[in-house]
Amino acid sequence: MKRVSVDIGGTFTDCFVIWGDRYVQSKALTTKHNLALGFNEALDFACREVGTTRETMLAEVDSVRYATTLGTNALIERQGPRIGLITTAGFKSTVPLSRGRGYGEGLSQKQQQDIPNAERPHPLVPIEMIRIVRERIDYKGDIVIALDENDLRVQIRDLVDAGAEAIVVALTNAVVNPVHELRIQEIFVEDYPEHMLGALPLLLSHQVAGRKGEYVRSMSTIMDAFLHKVMYFGLSSLERNLRGSGYDKPMLVVHNSGGMAQLNSTDALQTVHSGPVSGIAAAEHLAKQAGLGNVVATDMGGTSYDIGLVVDGGVKFYDFQPTIERWLVTVPMVHLATLGSGGGSIAQHNRMYDTVQCGPKSAGSDPGPACYDRGGMKPTVTDADLVLGYLDPGNYANGYIKLNPKRARQVLEDEICDALDLDLIAAAKLIKTTVDLDMANGVATELRGFGYEPSEFTLLTYGGNGPLHACGIARGLNIGRILAPPFASCFSACGAGNLSQLHIHEMSTFTVLFDSNVKQLFTDFPTFNAMVEELERRGREDLLRQGMPEDKIQYRLELDMRYGNQRVQTTVVTDLTRLSSIADVVKLIGQFHKSYGDRFGEGSQAAEAGVRINTIRVCSFVEVDAVDFQNIHPGGKRVETPAPVGSRACHFVDHDGAIETAIYGEDALEHGVVIDGPAIVTTSHTTYLVEPGWRYEAAAQGAVWFTRIDA
Amino acid sequence: MNVLPGIATLSVGERKILQDFVDEHQLFYGPDPAIMRNHRLEPRTDMEDVAMNKHDDPHLLNQVRGRVISALSESFRMVEQMGAAPGAKWGDLVTAIFTASGDLSEISPAGIVTFAGVCQYPIKFINKYWTDDPSVGVRHGDGFIHNDSRYGGIHNTDQSMMMPVFHEGELVCWVSSTIHEGENGAIEPGGMPAKAESRFDEGLKMSPFRIVEDFQVKRDILTFLQNSVRDPKLQYEDVKVKLHACIRLMERVRSVIAEFGKDALVAYLRRNLEDTEAEVRRRITELPDGVVRFNTWIDSTLREPALVKIACAARVKGDRMCMDFRGSSPQLSNRSINAVIGSTKVCFLTGVLQNIWPDLPHNLGVLAAFDFETDPNSLIDANNEAPCAMSLLPMFRTITVATVSFPKFIYGLPDGAKARATVTIAGQYNQPATFVYGGLTQHMDVTGNFCADINGNGQGARENRDGEHSVSPLFGFMCDTGEQELAEEELPMVRLIAQHLARDRVGWGKYRGGLGFEQMVTVRGTNMWGFMTGQSGSWFCSAPGLFGGYNCPAYPIGKVKDVNVFDWFAVEGNAARFPYGIVELMNEQPIEGARYLTADAGMTFELVEEGEIYMICQGAGAGYGDVLEREPEAVMKDLREDLISHESARDIYHVVYDARTLIVDVEATAKARADEREARKARGRKYADFVADWVTETPSLDLPYYGSWGDPSTVYTGSGAARQVLDAGTIQPIFMADPRDVRIAELEAQLAAKG
Repeated sequence: MKRVSVDIGGTFTDCFVIWGDRYVQSKALTTKHNLALGFNEALDFACREVGTTRETMLAEVDSVRYATTLGTNALIERQGPRIGLITTAGFKSTVPLSRGRGYGEGLSQKQQQDIPNAERPHPLVPIEMIRIVRERIDYKGDIVIALDENDLRVQIRDLVDAGAEAIVVALTNAVVNPVHELRIQEIFVEDYPEHMLGALPLLLSHQVAGRKGEYVRSMSTIMDAFLHKVMYFGLSSLERNLRGSGYDKPMLVVHNSGGMAQLNSTDALQTVHSGPVSGIAAAEHLAKQAGLGNVVATDMGGTSYDIGLVVDGGVKFYDFQPTIERWLVTVPMVHLATLGSGGGSIAQHNRMYDTVQCGPKSAGSDPGPACYDRGGMKPTVTDADLVLGYLDPGNYANGYIKLNPKRARQVLEDEICDALDLDLIAAAKLIKTTVDLDMANGVATELRGFGYEPSEFTLLTYGGNGPLHACGIARGLNIGRILAPPFASCFSACGAGNLSQLHIHEMSTFTVLFDSNVKQLFTDFPTFNAMVEELERRGREDLLRQGMPEDKIQYRLELDMRYGNQRVQTTVVTDLTRLSSIADVVKLIGQFHKSYGDRFGEGSQAAEAGVRINTIRVCSFVEVDAVDFQNIHPGGKRVETPAPVGSRACHFVDHDGAIETAIYGEDALEHGVVIDGPAIVTTSHTTYLVEPGWRYEAAAQGAVWFTRIDA
Repeated sequence: MNVLPGIATLSVGERKILQDFVDEHQLFYGPDPAIMRNHRLEPRTDMEDVAMNKHDDPHLLNQVRGRVISALSESFRMVEQMGAAPGAKWGDLVTAIFTASGDLSEISPAGIVTFAGVCQYPIKFINKYWTDDPSVGVRHGDGFIHNDSRYGGIHNTDQSMMMPVFHEGELVCWVSSTIHEGENGAIEPGGMPAKAESRFDEGLKMSPFRIVEDFQVKRDILTFLQNSVRDPKLQYEDVKVKLHACIRLMERVRSVIAEFGKDALVAYLRRNLEDTEAEVRRRITELPDGVVRFNTWIDSTLREPALVKIACAARVKGDRMCMDFRGSSPQLSNRSINAVIGSTKVCFLTGVLQNIWPDLPHNLGVLAAFDFETDPNSLIDANNEAPCAMSLLPMFRTITVATVSFPKFIYGLPDGAKARATVTIAGQYNQPATFVYGGLTQHMDVTGNFCADINGNGQGARENRDGEHSVSPLFGFMCDTGEQELAEEELPMVRLIAQHLARDRVGWGKYRGGLGFEQMVTVRGTNMWGFMTGQSGSWFCSAPGLFGGYNCPAYPIGKVKDVNVFDWFAVEGNAARFPYGIVELMNEQPIEGARYLTADAGMTFELVEEGEIYMICQGAGAGYGDVLEREPEAVMKDLREDLISHESARDIYHVVYDARTLIVDVEATAKARADEREARKARGRKYADFVADWVTETPSLDLPYYGSWGDPSTVYTGSGAARQVLDAGTIQPIFMADPRDVRIAELEAQLAAKG
């Protein structure tokens, strides 16, 4: 197998190349003005490593896959067209009001709580670019008010005159009857044909999202329209670059649903957060192949801590209404929780509790921690790590950043030590403990929210600061096993290399499996099966269009179910592909009963109030070869521990005084190296902190295990 | 033990004999004033003393805090996702943890503090009365339920589950879960009966009792509760939801005990309270000594127009701050808008945490730092016979009291002061502006509940920027106004206007308040549906401006009756004539043959025929600062967004501009504003002259007025010949005439006049 997969991040472009039995990871700085340049540089590094040329490599690989934060960045920087919105009369303010709570989406809980400072994000569609059209469809799809076509033409003209560069049509209940949205499209094409100078794209909400919820569907469509141009130009320039270098197959783009598709079958919205989602996909593949059981995938960077779940048995966790940047949207996205904790989190004295508080404010990368010497005046987690001796001031971030220990000491003394009457080391330890436990609590809340106990998980840790804080976090979770995975520095790119071509289609429904009023089970099997067949047809067409062989296409049926009138929609992945008897119905209810009980507690089920299916979802996919993770379990091969490259006096939580701690270099990553803590392994990509009571063990493909030995 | 009236006349020995006898022969364990009137922290217990002596390390306790908040967050998420009530789906819920004595120590990060704040009262009741009662007792695995506001609660639509947490047989804390459930079997569907004339009209009245034993719901008791309400499915589901959230929270708390020890948990829960109270006192100390007065009026009893006063004088001296509500309206014993003192205090707490010091922990320690003075038997300190179903009306004003009083103290503080924890903000719109409904759902379930529009109050303007439109309810954050497509899937309602920011519904100012949205709703495919509202503010503004900013407007309800608008829409050409705006629809009256009605927004339940239209408006927040200081470009932006009219721009903001291009004439605007300032001076009068002309000794006799008029020690009630003048300290509850009888009397008088 030969394959290239790429994760274009805000700072680095990570490249993972599968070249026969060789796996190569490489990095280059992201070149925002032309993404192809950074990609080429990273790819050239990999080519040199395997001894070939870019042209040869691209001619021989089976695919090139991209995960990218291009969309996220465009949203943050508000780089997008001027969008006009056409919506149902009476719903003019739905988008600007963002369900009230829109002011706080994507913010920390503390910021959300500060209502007097509430401020909605700068809108993607200004109020003056919203027009209403006279029409109304009811919840069943019946037309209540016919579309007023004359009025519509006036509204469209008005938006065009106001400078709209893209138009979004989001009508109420369009998902149950899209006739008015489709008619608007027809009229629009009549009046503004594609060949006309200044033609502009028009997007229909029911084609972007299949679920009910007029606000989130409108926002999804708006976001799609907003990102369309920048994504199209960004990705198509990458595709042209590939063509110019000899690649003649379709370019594949990673979706946040955990699958991927060709560029021409990709909505812009589906690409947002595809990088972190690729990381979770890699974790899933790794867990399955290596038999790791339940895994919590964590990525600790400078400003945030991403958490994803992978559990045994193929249970899927989606966010059906994820927050993207500052907006709630509706798209089935692999569940990803983000905490505002990282190396740049600012520590401050909490007067009320007379202790230290880490975050939510962050020094970010600019000015960054005080020790970066770039003007940061507040103590951060990284400053504390430096004071405790964990970081090498002269060899941080592969030597890119020189650290100034004096600045770190000074800000800690000024901001923390004086207020808390602590010495420098005690203050630094307190910061480390606090941030580690904050993250542990965040992970625990996530896992327990889905009904899992952290102690049943392996903590997978990656990202620049992950292996530095992993032992502290794991201790707070009562987890005894940590894995820094193979190819950790390019883990998301590695994940992109594992993905199947997958399309998700879903349909809102009101299917009552058990009607408690009349005490009847569902029997309208033809209707249910017809919906499933329709969703399979859509997925099949997507895959056939991309050249996938029909006999390789597989389908996974997922049902979002609930009791009575609950809000929660527990996803049941079923091996049933069709319903043909009430025994099937009872089986489905039984599956739902179990997963609900696992999550919320046995006895919490309430079938007595009725059981409903709210959404039918079909994942259509074609499995392809994936990365072969070798046997990475600890306790196998042993080699002699290399000599330390030095030592430093380090301070550890729960240990008095300094401990002279051995420092190891890159050669400690050799498969079979075992080191008992305390120890530090510094590589070009990260720092592994082996705290006392933990054992470090290097496994195949650069994976590293931390195992608790003092429990 | 209840304190007995008249006991003070007895000797000490006689008192004890009498008290012991009465305690032994208690007829009825009603709400206990000793519990309900006390908002201070309970005295430290021996267990707490031992724990705090053992654990004085704030950093360790901070670790315990992190674990507990994680558990609260998890249990909150459970309720939010499992809950069947609309309130649970859209953010009207909380989970919380209390000390063993019942003091609220911590709430879930996103929960409604009001619910948790009042939940401590039933816990204290259980501690006091049921723990040692051999017929009840409090044991591991028990769960207690409660909804009666007189035992602690805002109104009876909110239901709480409370569970004791034991460690080695010793009670170490309580946990709770509360949801605004809606339907509760009251005289009107939906749980908030505006029509309630006594507490017996309020439906289910659960004093705190055990419904769970050994973690199992007692099905016989649950059946009784289901049998008492219109929506037995909802009652069934949400009892289980609250129970399992409590169980989960208890499990997590027990794991905290396993990790840190019981004493660490106990020390944290208590220290959390004491630290918070100390911090609040430090902040009060930062405020200048003085008095700030803020009086406000409810303009409707939801049955008839009336001016019902909520008086408040906030006094600061040193580290003490007293909220003096004396001089407020008497209790209206056959109207639903009363509140008990416990609710009043907790709603004030909500106001402080929502708008003044949002960074503080949401616990009883905040409230314990304040003093309160009230007149017993007043609207906000009602006795146990008063209906409180729509206590939201006085309670929301109590929240506003905090919002509006504090800025006057904080104004002069330096930026670094802890008391200046956030920006200063003018009043948020303070009405529950939503439709309460009842009837049969699309799927033939009986229902009664309310719409999520309640969560879209317009925000007051800030000291540095405009208020946000429809941002939150007055009492919470990150709540949700919902999705109409999902609502319509359940309910036979069709929104002709779901959310529309209408022109000139604004609190003008240097910074304007955020607008609220119009709601225009009808029903389709049903002949079993009805609406009510709990909204006032049709005569007297509901959001007071700050430092020169204007109040929000007043809003009536509009109705279009005796017509099926869907039939009308079906006639070609009609839809094009339908105006999507309340004012336009009521003024243009395009639907021939329909009856157009405008009324006080307060409306008791009435059945609705298919296609009839009901209209209310979420209100705007108030303005901040002088309108003449508003940036002209901000005025033009409001015009471009159709939030204000040209009349507002010209006549209120005094901006001169080209109406077509909206380009401001800067010099002409400066001149117009200078002219207006001069005009103001010309219109101005000496204060003494103003007082001489304006101030009257008593409220006008034709005004249906309730409350003090200047002097808080004297209270006026009613109008005309029926008016009474009462001593505020000894006021008696007021009974009001039946509005139908009043109307009949009016008509009879008209008949008599015609001979």
